[in-house]
Amino acid sequence: MQEKIRNFSIIAHIDHGKSTLADRLIQECGAVSDRELEAQMLDSMDIEKERGITIKAQSVRLEYNGHILNLIDTPGHVDFSYEVSKSLKSSEGALLVVDASQGVEAQTIANVYLALDNDLEIIPVINKIDLPSADVDRVANEIEETIGIDASGAILVSAKTGEGIKELLDAIVERVPAPQGNPNAPTKALIYDSWFDNYLGALALVRVFDGEIKKGQEILVMGTGKTHKVNELYYPHPKRKLPTNAIKTGEIGVVVLGLKNVADIRVGDTITDAKNPASEPADEFEEVKSFVFAGIYPIETDKFDDLRDALDKLKLNDSSITYEPETSKALGFGFRVGFLGMLHMEVVKERLEREFGLELIATAPSVTYKVITTDGEEIEVSNPSELPDVSKIEKILEPYVKATILVPDEFVGNIITFLNEKRGIQKKMDYVGDRVLLEYEIPMNEIVTDFYDKLKSTTKGYASFDYEMIGYKEGDLVKMDIRVAGEVVDALSIIVDKNKAEKKGRELIKVMKELIPRQLFEVAIQASVGNKIIARETVKALRKDVTAKCYGGDISRKRKLLEKQKQGKKRMKSIGKVNIPQEAFLSVLKID
Amino acid sequence: MLYIHIPFCQTKCFYCAFNSFQGQTHLKDAYLQALIKQFQHTSKPHKFESIFIGGGTPSLMDISWYNQLFEVIYDYIDDKTEITIEANPNSADYEWIKQIRQLGVNRISFGVQSFNEEKLKFLGRSHSRKDAIRAISNAHKFFDNVNIDLMYSVAIDTKDLLKSDVLLANKLGVNHISAYSLTIEQSSRFNHTHKKDDEEEEIWMIKLLNSFLKQYEISNFGRICKHNLGYWQLKNYIGLGAGAVGFKNNKRFYPHKNIQKYINNPLFAHIEKLDHQDLLYEKVLLGLRSVAGFEWEILPKHAQEKTQELIKEGKLILKKGRVYSTDFLLADAISVYIL
Ligand SMILES: Nc1nc2c(ncn2[C@@H]2O[C@H](COP(=O)(O)OP(=O)(O)OP(=O)(O)O)[C@@H](O)[C@H]2O)c(=O)[nH]1
Ligand SMILES: C[S@@+](CC[C@H](N)C(=O)[O-])C[C@H]1O[C@@H](n2cnc3c(N)ncnc32)[C@H](O)[C@@H]1O
Ligand code: SF4
Ligand SMILES: [Mg+2]
Repeated sequence: MQEKIRNFSIIAHIDHGKSTLADRLIQECGAVSDRELEAQMLDSMDIEKERGITIKAQSVRLEYNGHILNLIDTPGHVDFSYEVSKSLKSSEGALLVVDASQGVEAQTIANVYLALDNDLEIIPVINKIDLPSADVDRVANEIEETIGIDASGAILVSAKTGEGIKELLDAIVERVPAPQGNPNAPTKALIYDSWFDNYLGALALVRVFDGEIKKGQEILVMGTGKTHKVNELYYPHPKRKLPTNAIKTGEIGVVVLGLKNVADIRVGDTITDAKNPASEPADEFEEVKSFVFAGIYPIETDKFDDLRDALDKLKLNDSSITYEPETSKALGFGFRVGFLGMLHMEVVKERLEREFGLELIATAPSVTYKVITTDGEEIEVSNPSELPDVSKIEKILEPYVKATILVPDEFVGNIITFLNEKRGIQKKMDYVGDRVLLEYEIPMNEIVTDFYDKLKSTTKGYASFDYEMIGYKEGDLVKMDIRVAGEVVDALSIIVDKNKAEKKGRELIKVMKELIPRQLFEVAIQASVGNKIIARETVKALRKDVTAKCYGGDISRKRKLLEKQKQGKKRMKSIGKVNIPQEAFLSVLKID
Repeated sequence: MLYIHIPFCQTKCFYCAFNSFQGQTHLKDAYLQALIKQFQHTSKPHKFESIFIGGGTPSLMDISWYNQLFEVIYDYIDDKTEITIEANPNSADYEWIKQIRQLGVNRISFGVQSFNEEKLKFLGRSHSRKDAIRAISNAHKFFDNVNIDLMYSVAIDTKDLLKSDVLLANKLGVNHISAYSLTIEQSSRFNHTHKKDDEEEEIWMIKLLNSFLKQYEISNFGRICKHNLGYWQLKNYIGLGAGAVGFKNNKRFYPHKNIQKYINNPLFAHIEKLDHQDLLYEKVLLGLRSVAGFEWEILPKHAQEKTQELIKEGKLILKKGRVYSTDFLLADAISVYIL
C-alpha cells in the first residue's frame, strides 16, 4: 500500500492558478460530484473567496488509478509562506506551477528554494496555456535560467480547460517518490496543521512517518508530554469527512482527540504511541514568528473583553497571531497584535470584525526594534510610543529583510531609485531574458507601509516581490510624534529614519488634515521630534453646519439625521475636544 | 396651532419634494370635505394662537372654497390669531388677495424664490419677475405682514444676482423674508449639479439679509412669525390635510400623503411615539437653530458639561435658565457636540 501513496504540495507565485489546478485534479479523480464543483473549492473561508486568494493551506486525499494522492494546496502570498513550509514537510513532491504568460516571479523562486531545502521532487507545471498571451518556451527558459531546474519535463496544462490534467496525474504517480518510513516502528506523526471545530474540538492534521495511528490508541504528544486517546480519525476531503480506523505510514489524516485547547496539539509537534514512544520526534520546524505589530482597539471602549475573546477564538484557527494587552492614552484598552505581514494584518482585522461583529481601529504597523540603553540593557520595542527617552538610548537596531524583486528591464531605473529611497542596499542584479532579478537588503520598517502598492505602481503592476528576514542592523532612527491640539497622540507615533523625519512629518500631517473633519474649534496638527515641532497644519473651524429648511413635518427626519451624525461621531476617537476618524490612525500608510 | 395643507400645484418645480401634485384640482371639493371632517374629529384648543395655510399652492383654491373652510374654523379664531397663507405670484391676483384678507387672513407669504427670470426658469417656476412684483404690491394694499421666500446656493447664483434680489425685496417693503439654501432632495428633479456649494457665499448672503431684516432662525428674517417660532419651540399643533404632520405631547401624526387616500380616510394617521431622548434631541436641535433656545434643565449631566465648555468659548449663552445659540449656522454641529 505504502508504495502507492503520493504526497505533494502545489506551490507557485500568487495567482498562478494553484487552487484552480487543485479543482481540476480533484475533479479528474472523481472526488466530488459535478454538482458539488465550484471554483477554487479549497478556498473555504469567506475572505479567501472574496479576495480570490488562498490564505491557509488545504489538504485533500484523492484516488487515481489505484494510487492515493495527498494534495496540499498552498497560498502564494509572501505573508503566508509559513503555510508553504509546513506543507512541504509532509510532502515528497512539489508541483511548481508557473503562469504561462507571467513567467517566473519572486514567490516562484522563494518557494522553489523551500522545496529544494526539503529535498522534494519538483515537477514544473506550466499553467494557463489556454491564454493567448501564453509563451511556453519563454517560461520554460526562465525556469531553467532563474531557478536552475530542468524544464524539459515540464507538464503543460490549463487549469481552466482541463487540458493536460491527465498527463499531470500520470507524472505525479510516476515521478513523486512513494513515502519512506517503517510501518513496524513506533508511531511517529508530524502535526502540520491544527484548528478548532465547534463540534469535534481541536483537530490535528498529521503526516504519519512511521507506524500508524489507530482509533482508540493512547497517544503521546511529545512536545507537551501529555497523553490523549484517539476518538476519531478521518481523511481530508473538500466536502465531507472520510472516516477511517487507521492512518498508516506515509498517509495524511485528521486526528480527533476531543481536546478543547489547540495549544495541546501545537503545529510542529509530534504524535507518538504512549506506551511505545518513538525515540525522537519528527523533523521539527521553526515556530512562526510575527514580523509586523500593530495596536488593535475596539472603537467602543467597553468592547475590550469582547476583543480578547475574539482574539482567543481566532488564535485557535490562526496560530500565527500573537497578542498582548496594551493601553493607549488616545485609544484606551486594546492589544498589540503580531502578524506575519501587511496582508495578514488586513485579513486578521477583517476576520475579527466580520466573524465577531467588532468594530476596530488599527494603528500604523511597526516592526520590532532592539534598543540598547545607556545602561547596556537591550529591550525590544514594537510599539513606537514605548521607545525610551533619547537620553537613555545608546543605539537602536532595526530588522532588515532580503528582498527579491523581478521586474521588466524597462522599469529598472525607476525601481532602483525607489529602492534607494527606501534605504535599500543592492546585493545582486541579474538579467533573466528581458527581465531583471534584483536582490536588496532593506530595512523592514520601509516595507511595512504601502511599499508593495508603490512598487506595483512604479512598474505598472509588473514587479513581483518576495522577502525574508535576515537580522538586525544599527539604524539612525528617531521617534516622531503627532500632536493634535497640542496633545501628543500616542497611537500616531512612528519610528523613522532621522533624515526622513521632516519630510514624513510634513506629508503625514497633510494627510491627516484632509481626514480630520472641520470641527467647532480650530485644530492644530503638528509633527514633532522630541520637543522640536517640525511641521504644522491647521484644520479651520466650521462656519456653517445646519440644514436650511426645517418645518413642522420635517422635524423627525432632522432628528434622525442628527442621530446618525452622532453615531458617526461615536465611531471617531476623541482626543480632548477633537474627534479623529479611524482612518487617520493609518494615515502613515498613505505617505511615501 | 393649526396647519392646513393644500397639496395642489399648477406645475411641479424642479427642486421640490413637498407633498404637492399637479393635475389634481378636480379633487378640491372632496378634499375640502375631508379637511372639514378631519377638523371636526380632532380635539381643538379654545382659540388658535396661529394658523398656517401652506402648500402646495393655496392660491389655487378660490375664495368660495375658503369661505366654506373658514365657516368651520371661525369659532376657533380671535383677533389675536396669526393667520398666514402661502400664495404663488401667478395665481394670487388682486381680487383673491383682497378677499382672502377680508376672510381674516392677516399674513401672506409668496413663493418668489428670485426676481431673476433666468433663475426662475432654472428652478422650474411658473411665474415671472413681473408677476412677483405685482403680487407683492397688491398684497401691500391689504396686508401689513408680507413674506417672500427666496432661494440661494443655486448653481447659477452669483453674488450680484442674490444682491439684486435682496435689494428689490427690501425696496418692495416686505417685512419678512424666508431665504432657503437649496437642498437637493432625492425625489425631486434636481441633483447635486444644480446646487452651488460655496460656504463663503452662503455666509455672505445671510449677512446681507441680516443687514435689512433681523435673523431669528437659520432661514427666517424680519418680523417673527408666531407659527414658525411655535415649531422651533416644539409646541403642539394640529396638521390638517394630506401628509400634514401634527404633533401633540410626545406623538407625531402622519395622515395619508396621497390625496385620494386622504379623502377616503381623513381620520387615518400613522403615529410616531417620541421617547424622552427623541424629545431632548429635538428641543436642542430646534432651539439652537432659532431664537427659541431651550431650557438648561432638560440637559443630562454630560451635556451640561459640554454646554458649559461652549459657553466659555462664547458659542452659547445661558440666560434666565435657557440656553441660546450665538451662531445659528452651527446649530447641527453644536447639537451633536453637546448631546
Ligand atoms: N485562463 C486561465 N486562467 C486561470 C487558469 N488557472 C487559473 N486561472 C485564473 O487565475 C486566477 C488565480 O487562480 P487561483 O487558482 O486562485 O490562483 P492561486 O495560485 O491559487 O492564487 P493564491 O492562492 O492567491 O496564491 C483565477 O482568476 C483563475 O480563474 C488557467 O489555466 N487559464
Ligand atoms: C413648502 S414650499 C411651498 C410654498 C409655495 N408652494 C411655493 O413654492 O411658492 C415653501 C418654500 O420652501 C422652499 N423650498 C421648497 N423646496 C426647497 C428645496 N428643495 N430647497 C430649499 N428650499 C426649498 C421654497 O422657497 C418654497 O417657497
Ligand atoms: S415649490 Fe411650491 S409651487 Fe413649486 S411644486 Fe413645490 S409646493 Fe408647488
Ligand atoms: Mg490559491
